[in-house]
Amino acid sequence: MNNQEKINQNLSKDKFDFVQKGQKLYDQKIEGKPIGFLQDVWMRFRKNKTNVNASIILATLIIFCLIMPGLSGKEYVKIDEKLSFLPPRVPVLEKVGIFDGLVEKENVPADLNNFDEELGLYYPLDENPKAVVADTLTNETITSNEKSESVQFGQSLLRLDPGSESVLIESTDFLAISASNNGYIEIDVYELNGGSVDVLLKTDFAGDPEVVYTITEAGKHQIKPFELNPDLYADIASKLQLQYNGTGGDTVAFTSVSVMDDSSEEPILFDEGYRLSMYTILDGAGSYQRQNGQLIITTFKYNKYIAAFDVTHEIAFSSAEYDALLEEYGDSVEIIENPDNPEGWYFSEGFPIKEVVKKNDSVVVDGETYSSYEVYLDYAKYLGYDDLPYFLFGTTQAGRDLFSLVWVGLRTSLFLGLIVTTINVSIGVVYGAISGFYGGTVDLLMQRFSEVMGRIPWLVTLAIITVFLGPGFQTLLFVMIISGWIGTASVTRMQFYRYKGREYVLAAKTLGAKDRRLIFRHILPNGVGTIITSSILAIPGVIFTEAALSFLGFGIGHGQSFNIFGLKFSGVSIGVLMSDGRNFLSTYPYLTVYPALIVSILMITFNMFGNALRDAFNPSLRGVE
Amino acid sequence: MFRYIVTRIVWIFIVLFTILSLTFVLLKLAPSYPPPTEEQRLQYFDKQVSDGYMEFRIIDEEEEMAEIRNQLATRTTMKGSYYDDKGAMIRAFEPIPVGEQYLQWLKNVLTKWDWGQSTRIEVGRPTFDILKDRMGTTLSINIIALFFYIPIGITLGIIAALNKNKPIDNVISIAVMIMISIPSFVVMIMLVMVFGYQLEWVPSIFPAKDAATIIRLRGLILPVLAMAFGPIAGLTRLTRAELTEVLTSEYLLLARTKGLTQRQAVIRHALRNALVPLVPSIIFSFVGILSGSVIIETIYSIPGAGTIFIRALAKNAYDYNMILTSSAFYTTIGLFAVLLVDLSYGIVDPRIRMGGKR
Repeated sequence: MNNQEKINQNLSKDKFDFVQKGQKLYDQKIEGKPIGFLQDVWMRFRKNKTNVNASIILATLIIFCLIMPGLSGKEYVKIDEKLSFLPPRVPVLEKVGIFDGLVEKENVPADLNNFDEELGLYYPLDENPKAVVADTLTNETITSNEKSESVQFGQSLLRLDPGSESVLIESTDFLAISASNNGYIEIDVYELNGGSVDVLLKTDFAGDPEVVYTITEAGKHQIKPFELNPDLYADIASKLQLQYNGTGGDTVAFTSVSVMDDSSEEPILFDEGYRLSMYTILDGAGSYQRQNGQLIITTFKYNKYIAAFDVTHEIAFSSAEYDALLEEYGDSVEIIENPDNPEGWYFSEGFPIKEVVKKNDSVVVDGETYSSYEVYLDYAKYLGYDDLPYFLFGTTQAGRDLFSLVWVGLRTSLFLGLIVTTINVSIGVVYGAISGFYGGTVDLLMQRFSEVMGRIPWLVTLAIITVFLGPGFQTLLFVMIISGWIGTASVTRMQFYRYKGREYVLAAKTLGAKDRRLIFRHILPNGVGTIITSSILAIPGVIFTEAALSFLGFGIGHGQSFNIFGLKFSGVSIGVLMSDGRNFLSTYPYLTVYPALIVSILMITFNMFGNALRDAFNPSLRGVE
Repeated sequence: MFRYIVTRIVWIFIVLFTILSLTFVLLKLAPSYPPPTEEQRLQYFDKQVSDGYMEFRIIDEEEEMAEIRNQLATRTTMKGSYYDDKGAMIRAFEPIPVGEQYLQWLKNVLTKWDWGQSTRIEVGRPTFDILKDRMGTTLSINIIALFFYIPIGITLGIIAALNKNKPIDNVISIAVMIMISIPSFVVMIMLVMVFGYQLEWVPSIFPAKDAATIIRLRGLILPVLAMAFGPIAGLTRLTRAELTEVLTSEYLLLARTKGLTQRQAVIRHALRNALVPLVPSIIFSFVGILSGSVIIETIYSIPGAGTIFIRALAKNAYDYNMILTSSAFYTTIGLFAVLLVDLSYGIVDPRIRMGGKR
């Protein structure tokens, strides 16, 4: 039904009634409720659903940063190297295979002494085999020329430097060649490119090593000193020397050196691979390297949590802590004798210390005695965890819980933002009020001053304050305040110019109100909405500056703490966390991702909240859809 | 108009002069940090004397020498002074009052363009030369960022304004909100992490000068992106606001009534009027990008003016001459941008005639 139809329709007369027939309208109560200013603001605020959601998220963040560090129950102050760089581990998600506390390790040399019969695979070197996820372990053999124990087989290559004519190498061990059992040396030469190798042995105790044999071609050479030199009567115990003679660039490659005799089938001494490569160059110019060695490398997933919280061997566990632990567990602990080690003892199940190996010698410092124990410690239990804990965001280099740290940092950042904004707004309001209220020359001078202040680049302010105070909390505060108040000042000044000519101000003035009263009781309250919203919109800016300065190292940092109005804050802020993570961008990206994510969410929601507030407070939007 | 321009220029120079004087005096009052090695220090103090910031005299009276030695031992010597004890005599370098130093400094800068020598970064080298070497890198990256973000920002703003309150506008608005909120250094770190380290598409630190051109070009991608990230959002928002205002204006309605199509009306009338107020904001954003680029330079190890500034501010190894020169650089660029903005206001909007006859 359009308007025209509405007008044209026939309505009977008796449907109409006079509203005020025979009544007086004045002194009657207004029906319906009046809408107050704040109520109006609230109604407009609620209208924009996106902004309301943003504000809810912001409120959640603020609540989280107040309660989360306490709730998580994780350590975020003490340094614990054992727990450093634990990857994020989240309860439900770990079942799906993400955030499960596992890290992929690739190409770790295998531990040749740790072979798993069942899997037929070697475990990696220097890693806790318990923490290796068994079904992800693979072995692979690659060629390596590294002089390392893990590299097996291959040859050792002796090369003469250009211009050099000989080089002499010597074995690490003494060769024991028994005369009675017809001992002999076997040298396996893999390759000989030019030149010849003299084999030297010290055949009697006092003499110099002398040449007993000369190798001129590749292949196995059996050197039987007792046959070569029938005069020898006693066993030989000597280091083997090999002198390579040739011209520059000549090479010879040895596969093995062994000592055999009749007493057993197995060689008495067998140098190959790593041991052979450790022969030292005594004389001459040349290089001695390995070639064609085989290295077994492993690739696997590694559970860092199991590794970190496993039983550890503590060489010096302080007796104070030891006593405290004993006291804490009280009677439930039993000491069990260790029959194999009279110096040490075991503890019953459930006690963090598994075994005491021995009590270390005490040291006396300043008249106080310090003693310690060598113990095996169940680390998870020692830290008070029954099961492996969940570090939701992982841990930092210092082994602190990143999840707690992020909230602590956020708290510091937010609070700093609040403090700095309060200071800036206080200065700005007073400055702007005076400048706007009095106008004229005062205004002109004050405007010029604030313009000069505002034109100083923040870098210059930072430089000047840093050279006087050094990096730290004070510097941070000053840098943010020196130019921070100007925004509020100009907003306030504008409001004053807008309202100071109004009639009610004139009326108040006529009634004898002092300037102070006019400023703070009459004009300022009218402009307060705009000032509040502009200050709230300034908080994210302060948080950003703080994060940036701390990130550059000019703000707060670890180990600092400061008191404001009796509240103690740690020196950890989002900027500090990001600056920590910066060195590990490629290796531990999560250290950067989480703080970045949280600070981004904070800034986005804070801006949206500020905008919503501005829209709600701005009366020019009244009635506009 | 002429008078307006002159007033602005004079005022800008007054501000520049004030800031630099303030910086100079304050830096001179701070504890001094001469170069680290003996040889460099002597050379530095000789230069200080020849520049007129210090007085040199030889002390050979026993009494005075004994007193100076006593002062040296108890660390109560005059602030900023330096004594080279030769046994038979002491070569004394003593600073003259800050006020006189200031005049001397003005003379050196204005007549000889001598900004002093670096004391820590590249010891003994004139600071202006150090800055000159790095200015190019910083400015070129910033200008590339400027030319990168302007078209994108304006285009997005136009799209949003023409589709006001439609889904595409909402998407752009949300994107703008996100982009404007995330700090640029967070953006830079994330970009380096994802594209530099994880995907390895671009170098993870700024390539050296002698690297191949293609690598150097790829090295520009991340800093330009990070610097343009926020400004794009700001420009989009501003363009949208200006254009929506113009689109509802009466002269546009008139243009439509005269028979122009929507497209013609928008391009011929609305855009021209909407883009004019953007000019000042673009000039200002350049200053913003420039000072914000300091952190980005540090993250990406770009050998630019910002990195040198931060290095000159290394704790307890402050290089004052370098700080002063860099301060002058940043202040000058900032102030000239302000001047440009003021002038452009005056040209764009004839109502503004500050200092002119009404």
